[in-house]
Amino acid sequence: MSDTPGTDAVFADATQVAGTGGVMIELDGVDKFFDDFQALKDINLKVGKQEVVVVIGPSGSGKSTMIRCINRLEKHDNGRIVVDGTELSDDIRNIQAIRRETGMVFQSFNLFPHLSVLENITIAPRQVRNMPRAEAEAQAQELLTRVKIPEQANKYPGQLSGGQQQRVAIARALAMKPKVMLFDEPTSALDPEMIGEVLDTMQSLAEEGMTMICVTHEMGFARNVADRVLFMADGEVVEVGTAEHFFTDPQEERTKLFLSQIL
Amino acid sequence: MTSATTTADQRPPLWRDVRFLRVVLQVAAVAVVVAFGLWLWGNLQDNAETTNIPLGFDYLDQPADLTIPGSDFNQSQPVSDAIIVGLGNTVRVAGAGVVLATILGTLIGIARLSTNWLLSNLARAYVEVFRNIPLLIIVVFSYSAIFLRFPRLEDARTYGGVFLPSVRGTGTVWITTDDRGGAIAVVVLVAVVAAWAAARWRRGVQDRTGSPAHGFWFGIAAFLLAAVAGLAALGFPLGYSTPELDGRRIVGGITMLPEYAALLFALVVYTASHIAEIVRGSIQAVPKGQNEAATALALSSGQRMRLIVLPQAMRIAVPAIGNQYLNLTKNSSLAVAISFFELTKVTQVSIANRAPAVPSYVLLLAIYLTLSLILSSVVNVANRRLALVER
Amino acid sequence: MTATTRPTPTASRAAWARKHLFRTPRDSVITVITAAVLFVIVWRTIRFVFFTGRWEIVRVNLGLYLYGRYPTDDLWRLVVTLVVISATAGLIAGIIAKRTRIAAQAAGTPLPGTSIVGRIVELAFRLWPVVVLVALLLLLSETITPTLVTLATVAAAIAGRLVGALLPKRATFLAFVLPGVLPVVLLPFLTAAQGWDDWGGFMLTIFLAAVSMLACFPLGLVLALARRSTLPAVRVIGVGVIEFFRGVPLVVLVLMSSVALGFFLPQSILPGKVVRVIVAFTIFTAAYVAEIVRGGLQSVPRGQTEAAQALGMSPFRVTGWIVLPQALRNVIPALVGQFISLFKDTTLVFVIGFLDVLSVADAVTKQSQFDLANFAEATAFASLLFWVGSYTLSRESQRLEQRLGVGTR
Repeated sequence: MSDTPGTDAVFADATQVAGTGGVMIELDGVDKFFDDFQALKDINLKVGKQEVVVVIGPSGSGKSTMIRCINRLEKHDNGRIVVDGTELSDDIRNIQAIRRETGMVFQSFNLFPHLSVLENITIAPRQVRNMPRAEAEAQAQELLTRVKIPEQANKYPGQLSGGQQQRVAIARALAMKPKVMLFDEPTSALDPEMIGEVLDTMQSLAEEGMTMICVTHEMGFARNVADRVLFMADGEVVEVGTAEHFFTDPQEERTKLFLSQIL
Repeated sequence: MTSATTTADQRPPLWRDVRFLRVVLQVAAVAVVVAFGLWLWGNLQDNAETTNIPLGFDYLDQPADLTIPGSDFNQSQPVSDAIIVGLGNTVRVAGAGVVLATILGTLIGIARLSTNWLLSNLARAYVEVFRNIPLLIIVVFSYSAIFLRFPRLEDARTYGGVFLPSVRGTGTVWITTDDRGGAIAVVVLVAVVAAWAAARWRRGVQDRTGSPAHGFWFGIAAFLLAAVAGLAALGFPLGYSTPELDGRRIVGGITMLPEYAALLFALVVYTASHIAEIVRGSIQAVPKGQNEAATALALSSGQRMRLIVLPQAMRIAVPAIGNQYLNLTKNSSLAVAISFFELTKVTQVSIANRAPAVPSYVLLLAIYLTLSLILSSVVNVANRRLALVER
Repeated sequence: MTATTRPTPTASRAAWARKHLFRTPRDSVITVITAAVLFVIVWRTIRFVFFTGRWEIVRVNLGLYLYGRYPTDDLWRLVVTLVVISATAGLIAGIIAKRTRIAAQAAGTPLPGTSIVGRIVELAFRLWPVVVLVALLLLLSETITPTLVTLATVAAAIAGRLVGALLPKRATFLAFVLPGVLPVVLLPFLTAAQGWDDWGGFMLTIFLAAVSMLACFPLGLVLALARRSTLPAVRVIGVGVIEFFRGVPLVVLVLMSSVALGFFLPQSILPGKVVRVIVAFTIFTAAYVAEIVRGGLQSVPRGQTEAAQALGMSPFRVTGWIVLPQALRNVIPALVGQFISLFKDTTLVFVIGFLDVLSVADAVTKQSQFDLANFAEATAFASLLFWVGSYTLSRESQRLEQRLGVGTR
């Protein structure tokens, strides 16, 4: 969060990076089609190291599709995606390398119901990073403490509340020591009283310097944490700016309309 | 002035008292069932008297007076022995059927999910054809139009030295042992233990160092190693024999009666079509998000299947597949149509040989109920072990 | 905005094949092997159907397959029955269609109107196995009569459908009354020529299946309710009966109905063999229906019962008005599945010497001009009859499931 631009800063386009640490993610002319429907239209985006980008927009605007393309949950059709210097190609080694460096948190948690909380967190480091069990479990305990639920390690996901599950999901993603975290509407499926605990976890993660792309409608979170906010509609990036910019001086009609609906 | 409200102290009239009504209803239900049972029992006694057919189980000790192809059962042995041979045949055909139907059904279920259009549609056609034809027709067809159309013994020949189809039985290659069968069994047991130990050791190594376990392959290797070493120590007492024609009979290998083969074939083909649907359904029932989350964690496609999707699919599939095992076992009774001497056929023939019908069928029902209970309790145990922990 | 280009035109056939058949080298190998297997199967099937199969065995015995030994002079009774059933089915379909249309209009979503020709074409495509089977039967028959009968049946259905759509709303009760009245009228009409103990062929199959279906449903319902009862004694009885009949093979019950059931009844009231076997089918299927209904009852949220109780409904009304309607709606597909099983299981009467379709297939190979070598043709035709029936039923049930699912969430 170093060198946050001024509150009235307006970015020319989404490739202007906040911060100075170099580029972590680069999307260059990315298109995505679902049969005849074009979900992403020529997306150009650069995300700097340690930068936090919040993506907002109406449903169906391509926000989720965009971040799902970054770790190849969806295959983009045109353009380039580069994560930390590795280009996402059809080479399975590149794909897996990028997935190892990219953590993802889903709207519906997607914890593995047949594994305990501890196993949910240790499975990827043990299976993918070949980490010894004791080490993986110690790290998992540490992460659970960080997300403030150390006492739940031996429970199963079905025994936890939604907010706790989502925090386990964050811990699970962090267990791979990713360089980037992608959040796909992490609080949309939560009861109001649980949203806060998840946002707190995300905020402290941002303060520790994690590079993050968050699809969320929590404008309070955007104001506190985001270096930049992206507004997407119809598969395009419509407007880029700080959270303040969106609160005080949105330029495009579509942006104004959308903001009037959610604020 | 009387109070308009009724208080709890005032007992309601009997016909409105919930507690009383519950008792009356239950007594009435039991009374109806008991009366119906007594009526049937009375009829049975009357009919037994007028027709002079006994109701006891003494007939079990009488000579069965029947021959059972494919066994050394002789006519003078009692009916009880015939039933035991029949039970053995039921278990033999159901056991083999369960194993083969599971393998075939799983393969077809997975093929059904293939991204390959041709393969998935071929699998679908298989399922749609065999699910919608009565099993009995498949049984009778398989017997009369396949296994009875095999060459007569005079014209029979072996295929590749391992397969000898004939109308009197189908021979295939089989393992032979010398007289030290017990020692060989011990060797196999030791090899199995070695495989288990190797897999466990590898899991321990993975826990300590993190290197991949490959427990399955190490287990196989350990099994082979131990088996070869053990057999070498015994001087390789194992051999195999191929089926050959010796005049009017097949010697060597193992020979399946056409009745057994036809029933087994039909049960497997039919049950596999049901199991395939269960396999497909339960893999598809695992939420897509599970696979996505595993993908996002960089698990490989094999790891995703083995660690995430299959364990959850199993949970859904086990009760349904267990049900299919039960059905297959019960369906083995269709052997009556093609005279394979399992339980039902033995009972049917012994009744024709003047065993009393009612006790014979009561015994038969009791045996099937016991088999069903055993199988369903096994399924229940498996089910409980796989159940998810919920709040 | 730069101009975007579509990556690959998905409409192209080559692209389709590359995606679905030759995506990876392994995929290509699978495709080639599968194609080889498929080729052998298709080739052998074609050879059997068009060249090596001796289909005279079916042609000569077509009547035996369809209606057993029903007296030739009385076949007109079957024709009348067929036409009446078809007209009634059309009538009911018409009444239902009209009600759906009225309901849709009331809800503000009027259904798009389709021409009657369009409806018939759509129905023919949906029921293609039936259409193909009928065409095959007409091809195998040697006279013009069956064709006329078919035309009459189709015409009756269309006429019924049109009349049904014209009837006023008051006539809706017909949709419930007619299925009950029809058997009462038609059965004496059919048995006047030949008692059902002597029936055979597909007619017997349908009779056994239909009667057992109708009878097993109320029994299954009672068993399910008994199993869910809060009264322990009633529950124990329910569980006992259900688990007993689910634990034993149907063949044994069928054999018992023929050999052993007589011992349990006074000889004076012992019913004929067909009724006895129907009893076996009914009780067996009822146990399975009970389990299905129980699943449906469990799927109705507890809140529904509680809400109804809170409104002051008596236990019977709670069950009958609130819980059962929802439960039954949830289990219609499973019930249809069970009925398909029953339909196929009627072949078991083969083992007690009834002249059903399978027995006919077996018997005709013993005619002097045919032999066991023709068994494949004889049973293939029998299988086709069953396959068309149960495939069509299961497809229609899936369709119904989808349609019912639309309103639920």
